[in-house]
Amino acid sequence: MAPGGLVLAAEEFTVREEPYYLPLGDEIELFEAAFEQRIPVLLKGPTGCGKTRFVEYMSWRLGRPMTHISQGGEAPLDDEGPRPFVTVACHEDLTASDLVGRYLLDTDGTRWIDGPLTRAVKTGAICYLDEVVEARKDTTVLIHPLTDYRRLLPIEKLGQVVEAADGFLLVISYNPGYQSALKDLKHSTRQRFISVEFTYPTREQEAEIISHESGVDMAVSIELAKLGEKVRNLKEHGLSEGVSTRLLIYAGRLIERGIEPRRAAQVGVTWALTDDLEVQRSIEEVVTSIFE
Amino acid sequence: MSVAGGLIARNRSRFDGFPEPLLEAYESSLRALEPRLTPTQLEGWSRGGLDLMAISLRSWESAAEYFKAGPRMAEATPWDTYEQLAREAGDLTEQSAPLAVSFLRSAPDTLTHIGPNHLAQWADFGRRLYKGNWKSSSLAAQFYDAGPDLFGTIRVSHAGRLVLFLDELARHSYELAAACLTSAPEVLGRLEHNDRMPFLTFGVELAQTSWADSRLYFDRGVPLIQRVHGPVRERYLTLAAQVARDHSRSVFQYFEEAAHALGEVEPDDHGIVIELAEQLAPHSAYAAMDFISNAPEVLEKVRIDELGAWQNHGLGILASSREGGEAYFRLQSSRGEEVLDTLSARVELSKVGDVLRLYGKALTGKNISIHASAVLTEKGIGWVDEERASTDGTTIYLPEVMELYRGKDENFAAVKVFTTHQAARLEFGSFAFSFSRPSTLFEDLRPTIREAPDANPATEIERFFDLFPDRTLASDIHKVAEGTRIDAAIKRNYAGIRRSLTRMQREELERRPEVSELPLRQAFVENLVRVSLDGIDAVRWPAAQRDAVSSGVSILQQLMAESASVEDTAEATLRLYQLAMSIRNERDEGEEEWEGLPEMDQESFQLDMSELGSEGAPMEMEMGDAEDGDVDYESPQDIDFRGDFKPELVQLLMKLRDDAELGDAGQISPDQLTEEQLKELLEKSAEIDLDSLLEGDLQNTTGMFLSNLLKEAGTPTLDSDAQSDQPLSDLSTGAEEGEEPLAPIVTTYYYDEWDFRAQDYKPRWCAVKEADLEEGEEEFYDETLKEYAALVAQTRKQFELMKPELFRKIKKLSDGEDVELDPAIEWMIDLRTGVSPSDKIYWRRNKVERDVAIAFLLDMSASTDEEIARRDQQYDDSDDDPRKYLSWWVTKRRQELSAPPKRIIDLEKEATVLLITALETIGDDYGIYGFSGYGRDNVEFYVLKDFDEQFGETTKKRIDKVTPIRSTRMGPAIRHAVHKLSETEAKVRILVLLSDGRPQDHGYGRDRTEKEYAIHDTKQALNEAKREGITPFALTVDRAGHDYLKTMCEDMGYEVVGDIESLPRRLPALYRSLTE
Repeated sequence: MAPGGLVLAAEEFTVREEPYYLPLGDEIELFEAAFEQRIPVLLKGPTGCGKTRFVEYMSWRLGRPMTHISQGGEAPLDDEGPRPFVTVACHEDLTASDLVGRYLLDTDGTRWIDGPLTRAVKTGAICYLDEVVEARKDTTVLIHPLTDYRRLLPIEKLGQVVEAADGFLLVISYNPGYQSALKDLKHSTRQRFISVEFTYPTREQEAEIISHESGVDMAVSIELAKLGEKVRNLKEHGLSEGVSTRLLIYAGRLIERGIEPRRAAQVGVTWALTDDLEVQRSIEEVVTSIFE
Repeated sequence: MSVAGGLIARNRSRFDGFPEPLLEAYESSLRALEPRLTPTQLEGWSRGGLDLMAISLRSWESAAEYFKAGPRMAEATPWDTYEQLAREAGDLTEQSAPLAVSFLRSAPDTLTHIGPNHLAQWADFGRRLYKGNWKSSSLAAQFYDAGPDLFGTIRVSHAGRLVLFLDELARHSYELAAACLTSAPEVLGRLEHNDRMPFLTFGVELAQTSWADSRLYFDRGVPLIQRVHGPVRERYLTLAAQVARDHSRSVFQYFEEAAHALGEVEPDDHGIVIELAEQLAPHSAYAAMDFISNAPEVLEKVRIDELGAWQNHGLGILASSREGGEAYFRLQSSRGEEVLDTLSARVELSKVGDVLRLYGKALTGKNISIHASAVLTEKGIGWVDEERASTDGTTIYLPEVMELYRGKDENFAAVKVFTTHQAARLEFGSFAFSFSRPSTLFEDLRPTIREAPDANPATEIERFFDLFPDRTLASDIHKVAEGTRIDAAIKRNYAGIRRSLTRMQREELERRPEVSELPLRQAFVENLVRVSLDGIDAVRWPAAQRDAVSSGVSILQQLMAESASVEDTAEATLRLYQLAMSIRNERDEGEEEWEGLPEMDQESFQLDMSELGSEGAPMEMEMGDAEDGDVDYESPQDIDFRGDFKPELVQLLMKLRDDAELGDAGQISPDQLTEEQLKELLEKSAEIDLDSLLEGDLQNTTGMFLSNLLKEAGTPTLDSDAQSDQPLSDLSTGAEEGEEPLAPIVTTYYYDEWDFRAQDYKPRWCAVKEADLEEGEEEFYDETLKEYAALVAQTRKQFELMKPELFRKIKKLSDGEDVELDPAIEWMIDLRTGVSPSDKIYWRRNKVERDVAIAFLLDMSASTDEEIARRDQQYDDSDDDPRKYLSWWVTKRRQELSAPPKRIIDLEKEATVLLITALETIGDDYGIYGFSGYGRDNVEFYVLKDFDEQFGETTKKRIDKVTPIRSTRMGPAIRHAVHKLSETEAKVRILVLLSDGRPQDHGYGRDRTEKEYAIHDTKQALNEAKREGITPFALTVDRAGHDYLKTMCEDMGYEVVGDIESLPRRLPALYRSLTE
């Protein structure tokens, strides 16, 4: 991770230390194979189940740099060390030019600034578009030529076409659960990716993750994981989305800091999940059943 | 000559002209009195009588009685009394001779009761009743006649009150007064002495305010009073009297209801209830009486010491708003219920069911529902106890009310333990038993046991129980063993519930029967129960059974291990059964104390399991023949928090359900159950007590039982999400298909009603019964279309014109169909001046998703039967010329004959047809409903077309059947329509009320003429709709509707459409303004 306070150019960001990642299945092998073959990857799964962490981990594992969107100028690439890697969190106002780049005014006139996708394409980074269905439809225009045999990024405003550098791989994520039917991924898009499905980890695995990430002992972790499992049973019956591992970790961290487990679960899980009083009450009952 | 003789001789001449008996009476009276009185006194006595004779023409009659009375006076009567009697007699005779006759006739006897001192008073009472007419005279006479009887029971002071009462009554009806007087001695005699005065006092008040009830009071009052606890009866009557003083309406009814209610309250608590009522009485006597009347209901929810808190809260409301407070104590306000709920320690399933449902869902991961146990027993499929928790595999059944403890939290914790135990059965697989799946802790005995060769068990668990000759014992042991396993799993997995569970186990242990008094085998099973309740310290055994018990305990404890599965329970059952069978079920005749811990410490329980696992050849389970001295085996006492456990039935049900599902999918399950299998299972299962289930011969019972079971399994499980929204809806709608297709399915919903006087809701006040409207002919629809062909075309066109508006031009985009001129120019300017231009210069047409749901509510009340007076048909009164009037009338008749006048309902129907045309054109989601009904418990709500229903022939046919029916209780109908609307997912939701206005119904207001209540409730219902984000709109076809619509709708939209011709013109505009 980048040391705090340091400002880096987008493509300078690299995953230097090994992120903690507990494999749940064969996703690592799959991803590696896909990367070898430069097959774009679609990660499917509920929120907070570890998709982003997985890409980060793979980026580190593949010795690839990683870039986060940030302000700043260009920086030279260092081909020898870990390479940049780009994460873009998509939102509904994200347009193609946000990804590709735009002209900005300068003292000497206009100047072209590459967008994160262009940088990733040029540097051959792994580019991770998080929650891609949230983005505007015009972004698919960019994704399509990049994800088939062409591996090209057209930059319309410059009248250029950029060929992707060798290491470039597009990874997108998508949560089929909470997006409405309106925002479904189009087939012409989705059929350009292999799709790795993420589910919540099993109770034991999740406990291990919680324990590792929050520092609480296994006994508490297993209870938290149990809570997660029970609350996820309520999905579609009052909850639109099950509790994420992330939230469970937060609760674990609070417990680690000396907060009462019941209270930690209340703020970390019950209240974080829903505003529906009835559902809150039900989760509360599960919490009080599990924690003393 | 004696003094008497002298007097007779002297006065004989004065009797000339009077009947002979008079003189005889005179003579005999003097002779009889002579020994008692001095000569002077005797002469005085004689003079008194002679004076009476002289008073009037008929006064000799009273004189005769006077003479007769003399000798009948008690021996010791002082002379004063004779004198007084004479005076009173004279006085009375002057008023009315017959009156005096009655007085004198009963005086001697009466005097023995009241004593001489009260003579004057008594006479006065009678005089008071006498008003100079014959009716009053006969009443007064009756009063005197009743003297001996009356004063045999009551005191003079009471009589004063009674006379007051009679006097009051007599003002209204002499007959009534006479009847009451007749029954008075008997009625008052039944009362205790101290109660008589207050009884009469209330009577007086009653006679003053609602005299007609007095008879009822006299007839029925006494047993009522006796329902009230003795020491406080007087206070109760005083209170009732206060109500009577303050109000005139239904006093006796209040009195009766309250007395009845008190009868249901513990006598010791009457004092408290009445004291609290007394505090209310100064504010509102009604509230005080209602408070008493409702006390039993309230006390069901709160304890007597909490009653004060509830009353106090109401008192606060009463002080600020009389109406509000009265509603509170009538239990007709939501606030009252809320307070009651907060105070109440008991937990009602209806209130916590939804939370528990989600809780259970979370725990089990299954889509379970929660119902009251009564629902399960009603199904008639083997469960019989309404109070016990259980599960049938898809639903958890819980007792309706939990009030084991004094605190609400504790009670809820108990419900939670109940629920958790049932949920844990599902979570930890109690019903997933498989005969062939190996256990984890034991060496499997199941395969080694010889099974009956021709057995064809329906379920896995049945196959297992088939191994046991004594099924009841096996089932009991299995239940204990599984309970042990489940409780242990709960404690291990749910630390938070451990404490409540342990507490309930402890309490259960305290309730267990004394083990040493049981026959030995039962004692063994009882010991197992104790172990399973974590009460190893409560285990007791006779020395001879030490080994068996220690083995048993050890086996059971194995089941507490984390890896224990339901198959382990089965293996444990096999072993425990064998142990139990090795013990004869006889009474322990030994003298020595039974052992318990600490004689045997837990260490020794760890024994080698292999001892029990008998290897080798297939073994036979023992039957354990009954020997002499053996007692019939009885199952151990049930454990409350574990509820009923019927694995055989549940497995059967699950299997039947699976079969039904497969059957629905057109498949036949490879091992579909046969009827024989089912019958066999039912007959042998220890879980079903067919006798207690239903009466009748076994064959019938089994048949009924089977069909119940199949129905249960075949009925698709209701979507529990829908249930949660309408927890009170009548679930009887799950009617079997094909059997009675004609019976309309009625679903009942309950809604609050707004009481504007109390400024509060009356909780669950109205029952809305929803049903599909009957189907009529399609013709009406088609004919309306034909009749208004032009209008229809016009409407359709208007609505089609709306369509292009569905596309909206969105400006200022950075990308779009074309450049927009204005921003483009600005862009150029910016560029030229060196300012950074905005790139948002494009426009695009976006399809606006129409997301509209609209509900039409048709008023089907009787008032819509009225004709709509068209303006041209109204005769102008200003012109008095009769000829003109005649010609107007003739024209009107002619018109009516050629085209019968339209009724409001016709207009509503026609409007509906037009609306449908319009809505079908535009494609918005809509529902059409009609409403009518009578009374709050019968608001009829008809579905013409539901939201998710397609418009088609059924809808057309239903429109034909729209007819005026009964009253108009608008509030609940609106609330139900709002409920329907809020279930749709549309963004824009509209409620259009088509009516003649005028909400009116039985009990919708103080009386039929009061409109305010109804209007306020309707207004409130419309307000609620607005709060739900629904746009209400009232459309009326009655010109007179303006006035009340103005009140009801206030800031909401409404419109009066006088004739259908203007509808097409108005509709699109209206619709547009509503949906945008």
